[in-house]
Amino acid sequence: MIATTPETSLRLRVLTRLGFWGAVIGGLLLPWGIMLAVEVVVHQVPFARAWRSFTLHLFAPGYNFFLIGLLTAAPFVVLAVLILLHLGAAPVQDPLIARRRTLGLAGAGLGMLVLAGWTHLEVLLHPDAQGALAYLYLPVILLASMPIGYGLGRAIARILLPRPPA
Amino acid sequence: MTGSASSPTILAPREIKLHLLGLVLFVGLLGLWYWLSTGARAVPTLIEMLQDDDPSTRIVAAEQLGQVGPAARAAIPRLLAQATEDGNQHANTTAAAALKSIDLTSARQVMTHFMPRLQDQDAQQRRTACAVLGSLGPVAKPAVPALLAAGHDPDELVRRNALMALASIGIPSPPIVAALLEGLRDSSSLVRQTAVTQFAFTVPLTQPVVTAVTPLLNDPNRSIATLARSALDKARPDDATQLESLGLMVQHSAARDYALHQLAQLGPAAGDALLPVLPLLQDDRPLIRYLAAEAIGAMGVSATQALQPLRLRREDPDPVVREAVAEAIAGIEAAMAPAESSGKAARP
Repeated sequence: MIATTPETSLRLRVLTRLGFWGAVIGGLLLPWGIMLAVEVVVHQVPFARAWRSFTLHLFAPGYNFFLIGLLTAAPFVVLAVLILLHLGAAPVQDPLIARRRTLGLAGAGLGMLVLAGWTHLEVLLHPDAQGALAYLYLPVILLASMPIGYGLGRAIARILLPRPPA
Repeated sequence: MTGSASSPTILAPREIKLHLLGLVLFVGLLGLWYWLSTGARAVPTLIEMLQDDDPSTRIVAAEQLGQVGPAARAAIPRLLAQATEDGNQHANTTAAAALKSIDLTSARQVMTHFMPRLQDQDAQQRRTACAVLGSLGPVAKPAVPALLAAGHDPDELVRRNALMALASIGIPSPPIVAALLEGLRDSSSLVRQTAVTQFAFTVPLTQPVVTAVTPLLNDPNRSIATLARSALDKARPDDATQLESLGLMVQHSAARDYALHQLAQLGPAAGDALLPVLPLLQDDRPLIRYLAAEAIGAMGVSATQALQPLRLRREDPDPVVREAVAEAIAGIEAAMAPAESSGKAARP
């Protein structure tokens, strides 16, 4: 077992809190950020106009950007709770456990982020009549990808952070 | 902060609980934001938006007000102005469509405003009139004769818009189906395509329609042929499963108006769906009561048991619903008369 310095313990604590709130807020803001970015960067709409159009359609029937944000955020909230309960409950005395868990959760989060970002970009860049269905399937796909990402992260952690011989 | 420094875990149980509580509060705040921004609470803001310089703002505001329904009565004057005076056709149609869900009398006012414009010298005025009348849906039933005439307009866009409006109104079904069948033989491919689109997506199929649409499978215009295929692949009104699913949809508020509109177009064939429709004569929304009365009236003699509930609605607070109820009673009684007389004649 590696002894923990108070500095390491503090860093892990801050990381857990940031991870928790980052997953919640990031999951909610990700689709909205992509919508605005596509308007400004791809469609060359001035930011002020893009922002106005975005706020206008937040609760508009047939658009409901608010609901799209919530649907995408839901699996990230699950990830946030996992961060809190899994990483937050890691023993302070063995930072290797916390670090391995951190890499596992980072793998899950990164995988979800890439999948969600790619889906939103695809829907916005190549719109079609059934495109909005992706928003309904996305939470399920993200939840399914979470254990896969976590497993990959843990596998990388085993390679990068081997337990020192006793 | 919460005793984490002395905790054996990275976060102390107390801090974990506090974060979870924070998450619950955050979700609660999002819920509050949604609640304040939708339904009747949003009406004052949406009325302000109807006065915006940007047409897209006025359009979205009108759409949202339509979703709110009768609780958005305060928006009626602004919506009426937008439906009849706005220079943007999309703003006109969205305001008219919203009024249909809020107040039937106001929707009829819009109809009365646009009907004379179907004979305007300016083709653009006639096109807009057709589009707005279509956006009123079945509420614009009295405009059907004028729209049938517009189906012979020299301007192909007027003819196209007239057919779209007729399909959107849908009732009474026989003359509308006849006009759409005529549209299938129009000299303009745009009008022919519009007519077959209505059979593919909006208007229920009948045997004469199937006969008329079948040759279009070989139409040289590929999109017309594809739309004809979609129309013929669609479930038929005489399909019991289709009728059953419409009956189920009637019981779910999200698709209620669509299902009632379809049943009203099916006429006597929809008789089996009478029971789920009857309670809707007492619905809170005038549009639903109106559509229920229209659907029951179209069922004719198979809706005999609806006469008593219909008579109870003769004093409906909405004059347009009252009119539809009176028409439905008269229609059912008229359908019963020949049935009764033939029954008497058959007796020795």
